[in-house]
Amino acid sequence: MKDLIRNKFKHFFRVNFGHALLTVMIPLLFSTFGHAESVPPNDLSHAEIMRLGERMYREGILPSGKVMETFIRGDVAVDSSAFSCSSCHLRAGLGSFEGGVVTPPTTGNKLYKPYRRPPSFGDVADRAGRHRRTKTAVERPPYTRETLATALRFGTDPTGQVFNDVMPRYPLTDRDMSILISYLEALSSEPSPGASSKQFKFATIITDDVSQEDRQALLLPLQTFIAQKNQQMGMFNDFIKFGYSPTIDMQFAFRSATLDIWELKGPPESWPGQLAAYYNANPVFAVLGGISNSDWRPIHEFCEAQRLPCLFPITDFPVVSETDWYTYYFNKGYTQEGEAVARYLNRLETISTETPVLQIIQDSQVGKALAAGFRKVWKECEQQEVTTLTLSSQQLLDQAALDKLLTKHKPEVLILWTDAELLPNLPALVAKLPANGIVFVSSGYLGKKTATIPENVRDRVYITYPYRLTPYVGSKVGGFDAKVPILASSKDFGNRRITSRSIAMLQQTTLQGLNLIYDNLYRDHLLDIMSMQMDVTVRDYERFSFGPGQRYVSKGCYIIQLGPGLDPPLLQRSNWVMY
Amino acid sequence: MRIPFHLKSALVAILLCVCILPARPAQAADIKYKRSVERYNVPDVVLINQDGKKVRLQSLLNSDVPVIVDFIYGTCTTICPVLSAGYVNLQRKLDADSKKVRLISITIDPENDSPKVMKEYLKRFRAKPGWDFLTGSRADIDTVMRAFNAYIPDKMSHYPLNLIRMPKGGSWVRLFGLMSTKEFMNEYLLATAK
Repeated sequence: MKDLIRNKFKHFFRVNFGHALLTVMIPLLFSTFGHAESVPPNDLSHAEIMRLGERMYREGILPSGKVMETFIRGDVAVDSSAFSCSSCHLRAGLGSFEGGVVTPPTTGNKLYKPYRRPPSFGDVADRAGRHRRTKTAVERPPYTRETLATALRFGTDPTGQVFNDVMPRYPLTDRDMSILISYLEALSSEPSPGASSKQFKFATIITDDVSQEDRQALLLPLQTFIAQKNQQMGMFNDFIKFGYSPTIDMQFAFRSATLDIWELKGPPESWPGQLAAYYNANPVFAVLGGISNSDWRPIHEFCEAQRLPCLFPITDFPVVSETDWYTYYFNKGYTQEGEAVARYLNRLETISTETPVLQIIQDSQVGKALAAGFRKVWKECEQQEVTTLTLSSQQLLDQAALDKLLTKHKPEVLILWTDAELLPNLPALVAKLPANGIVFVSSGYLGKKTATIPENVRDRVYITYPYRLTPYVGSKVGGFDAKVPILASSKDFGNRRITSRSIAMLQQTTLQGLNLIYDNLYRDHLLDIMSMQMDVTVRDYERFSFGPGQRYVSKGCYIIQLGPGLDPPLLQRSNWVMY
Repeated sequence: MRIPFHLKSALVAILLCVCILPARPAQAADIKYKRSVERYNVPDVVLINQDGKKVRLQSLLNSDVPVIVDFIYGTCTTICPVLSAGYVNLQRKLDADSKKVRLISITIDPENDSPKVMKEYLKRFRAKPGWDFLTGSRADIDTVMRAFNAYIPDKMSHYPLNLIRMPKGGSWVRLFGLMSTKEFMNEYLLATAK
């Protein structure tokens, strides 16, 4: 018996000696010799500490400019050029749930308060007192700057509980640690403007080039949404009157809402001033939808500067950026159609690098946007630049001049980024092409008249189509998306789907963000939540997909051809998403 | 004989020390991932790699060196970077021998993971040649996930999984969970040995 006990203890110390040293002795050493993290560096301004801390948090770059070195899963070395604090804790610092891993909040507001996770079904604690699957502590006392430094360096909370293996351990100097901790203390410390425990303030933006009909198509779903929120709030207040006590979470699900309409008039250069006046008079939490026939860029840039979420405006001219943060778009508009042609051509086995391709661009904003999308992806595919001509709408109607151009360039592939005025001349253009020659056009630019492409050339004409082709079966009984298969048809050409897209935006994505925000009234948190939601099937697109940093939720665009007849069937010629 | 209370307490404390305390750290140091050996029928699909090139999955996996497969996506926040860090460290450990293993990551977000996105992801992790990131149509990606008993309807509900194909016999070691570099290396060596 004595030997058994001795052996057990020997085994215990052998197995755990190294671990014990790491988790107990080294933190103790640090706590003895290094207290610099307990105060912010006094040689830096607050603004500079915030700038450096934000760079550490978001980009994993140390104040020295080097990347943060770290370890995960014990001995897996990795540097923060691959992933940073905000990858998991997200930009607002309120954490995430993904891949079966709960990433808890990391803001000073949350860390410096005691934490107790609400119990849940099947909540079987493991030996360390954590949930078996999600591996988060059931409770912990508040952190201090010192215990937070220990947590970041060694992965243990104030009670000594060891973090999940996916949390990196950061061997930071006292000074760097102090900067990062100061940033975490300031992160999401003040609620964003335009929201309170009782109310969300929203705005929508309408420019003066939008028709009355389109304006109503947008306002109808938005105002219905606001009315529904207020009606729910009324019902909730009635429950309270009759003595009902809401649970903690329940009270956050009901808030009244207001919707301001920000009308923008005159040239786009004057929009930022108008937007600032509206915003300063009554700051809102987010912009819901909006509509313009012009470039959305001035509004996009205003929202970036104000850190104001702008959720799914109806625009064909979104800003295409891989890093901008505050505007969610349905897709990349005309740019996405241009990209689709480049991807389709790149995979077409009947063409080679020798195949002459001629791109004719109507000198217009639409033509340029389509061509920009094509050029970007064509270059990514490492293809040689195609011959490109930009012509005015008058030049495009000069059949003799077009004939000359085709005779000169002898294209086998003709890309026509033009409006529908050219359609009557299309058979003459196709006749100039070789027998295997094909033409690409944009259904967005041709609009309703896409269906009038002359029948005798339909087998030679390929069309971009950025909407759903497969039957959509609604998820609800009754209402706009009742369980009736909706098939795409040529009647859809030119339909901007303003109401149905706005309903999908509100009911299938935005609402989830607003419902899950609880009492964390931060704009960045709303965007974080929305980016972590599951994919959804919607009426107008095959799929909305999300992900951190992804801002164009519909990623696809079909290439189709038209069948015969006045109401021609749409013949699918590509996948929804092509690479 | 009646045992005094303080002796009872002492006995309980000793029992705890003998039975529980040594067991806790010993188990905590145990392997944290699940391991099984499986056979899979790799579907005959053509996927696209980070260079935009078409690759036949069967040909890629049918190799005379161990092949490791995982399922990740380019904008993933939590477990994909950890899995990918595992790949990086394996390549570093093998150094000049890094061609003795073929690493394959298959996207579970084919909507977003274009060759450009995948190439940038590999660059971010400083991947060496021998690690390919594959995308394809959603239908093909679903087929591949189902073939490896790894199907998930949505990328947000994925889980950490590594599959190692042993060159001799073509069976697969299924490793469910996150591994340390040492554990991952050991699994690779085991696959090489058999």
